[in-house]
Amino acid sequence: MKDDYLWDGSGEPDPEVKKLENLLGRYRHNQPAPAFDQVAVEQPTPRRWSFPAFRFSFQLAAVAAVLVIGITTFLVVRMRQEKNAGPAWEIARIEGAPRVGWHSLGANSETAKLKVGQTLVTDNSSRASITLDETGTIEVDPASRLRVVASARNRQRLSLERGTIHATIWAPPGEFVVDTPSAVAVDLGCVYTLHVDDSGAGLLRTTMGWVGFKLNGHESFIPAGAVCATRPKIGPGTPYFEDAAASFRDALTKFDFAKTTAQERNALLGILLFDARKEDALTLWHLLSRVSDAERPGVYDRLAVLALPPADVTREGILRLDPKMMDSWWNSLGYGDVYLWHMYERAWSEQRR
Amino acid sequence: MGYVLDFRTASMERQAVTVQPVAETCADDALVSAARAGDRPAFGLLYHRYARMVHGILLCRVPPRDVDDLVQEVFLLALRQLHALRDISRFGAWLSTITRNRANDYYRKASPVDRAADPDGEEQAESRTNDHVVEQEAAMTLAVLRTLPETYRESLMLRLVEGLTGPEIAERMGLTHGSVRVNLHRGMKMLREKLAEKTQGGEKALGAE
Repeated sequence: MKDDYLWDGSGEPDPEVKKLENLLGRYRHNQPAPAFDQVAVEQPTPRRWSFPAFRFSFQLAAVAAVLVIGITTFLVVRMRQEKNAGPAWEIARIEGAPRVGWHSLGANSETAKLKVGQTLVTDNSSRASITLDETGTIEVDPASRLRVVASARNRQRLSLERGTIHATIWAPPGEFVVDTPSAVAVDLGCVYTLHVDDSGAGLLRTTMGWVGFKLNGHESFIPAGAVCATRPKIGPGTPYFEDAAASFRDALTKFDFAKTTAQERNALLGILLFDARKEDALTLWHLLSRVSDAERPGVYDRLAVLALPPADVTREGILRLDPKMMDSWWNSLGYGDVYLWHMYERAWSEQRR
Repeated sequence: MGYVLDFRTASMERQAVTVQPVAETCADDALVSAARAGDRPAFGLLYHRYARMVHGILLCRVPPRDVDDLVQEVFLLALRQLHALRDISRFGAWLSTITRNRANDYYRKASPVDRAADPDGEEQAESRTNDHVVEQEAAMTLAVLRTLPETYRESLMLRLVEGLTGPEIAERMGLTHGSVRVNLHRGMKMLREKLAEKTQGGEKALGAE
């Protein structure tokens, strides 16, 4: 990105940015600070109990109960209405005859809408794209099934039942989510490709930004250049960079998904730790929470060599998987602030399908 | 376990990577701690450090004429609520949330007449009273900037109006450099497109006349 001037004012000034700075600079803050030393901060005083207050609280409770019931009913009805009345994705045929329900998009009707509950289906010779102005655009490859689960102004949820999509998302992070049979992908500002095969297994490849992958408490963060596989009933595997050694990638696939004896598992972990490069700190950080207590010290020691833990992270803390220390170490790797993930992941978990 | 690992290069590979400049973060933490303990000059320093951020966030949402008053209200509210801040290292993110909530309250508490007033139209009306073409262009540009999605709008407002750099925005709002850079880049692209549309629309209208 040639935007050094926009970023930190360095480099050759971009004339358009410079012009906007001059134009909008007149609105800049220029007020002196209020006299804070004259502001009295009130301390809350405990309320005294009195009989009239007690009597009044019954009335208040009755009114509150009626209000709660009324508001709840209103919100449920409104939520149902919203679910069916969100913005619709614009479908464009690229080739073949993609269809929505019984309706096929031929050469004469190249655009249509994809609404909540509807499924876009492409056969072996069809391709299509769907676009929502505020969210992004998605190319749907042949042999795919893509359903709209929810659609609201700041919340889009699709389900890729099988096939491949290429998503370019410009909505703010966390507003776009794709369900697959084996994991949920949460966009954190990015471009990525997601593939789901007939067995429900998936593969996510991030080109720009990063994506969070989640199922049954298993979480994976996939930054640009990394990929992550998923399997039904297991969830997301461990993410890795595609340029990692072949031996490293093979060992990781077996470690994540194959049924192995304790001896085989030990050998696979040995390969992973031995072949890991600095960049593979991404993988080792994820492994910390996926290995047994007995295996964790080995992973910690290797990761500490590849990426020095921050000052607030201790070996003992990581060995007991202290959440704050895990987050701090992740943040120090420079792939993005995990605080964002916790914020968005929580928001999405609260609004289940 | 008996792993066979080669750690001979360990000391060469050791490398610390931090997201925020430690000295600056510590300075902020110390100011917040002092302010919580009743040190008003420390809170005054926080005001100097964060006033532009608060001003920019408000400018995204409320008419410019009311922003200065609201900045002061937000800081007075923050002073009163400072004891409720759990993690002092998140002061910037906490203050941003208070600011957004105050901006929302502004419309909730406004009279029906105020609420009915369209902020864009209002800015244009303000500028119509001023003959200066540049004033009018500035008001139009600000109105277009305010139509961008929230994430892009805030980052761009802080960069173009308040004059903060990307790293300063990230540090004050508790965001990563990566996300602010992406927001600025995408927001600027969207702003260029919208301004171009507006200019073309204006030219067509003039042509029709």
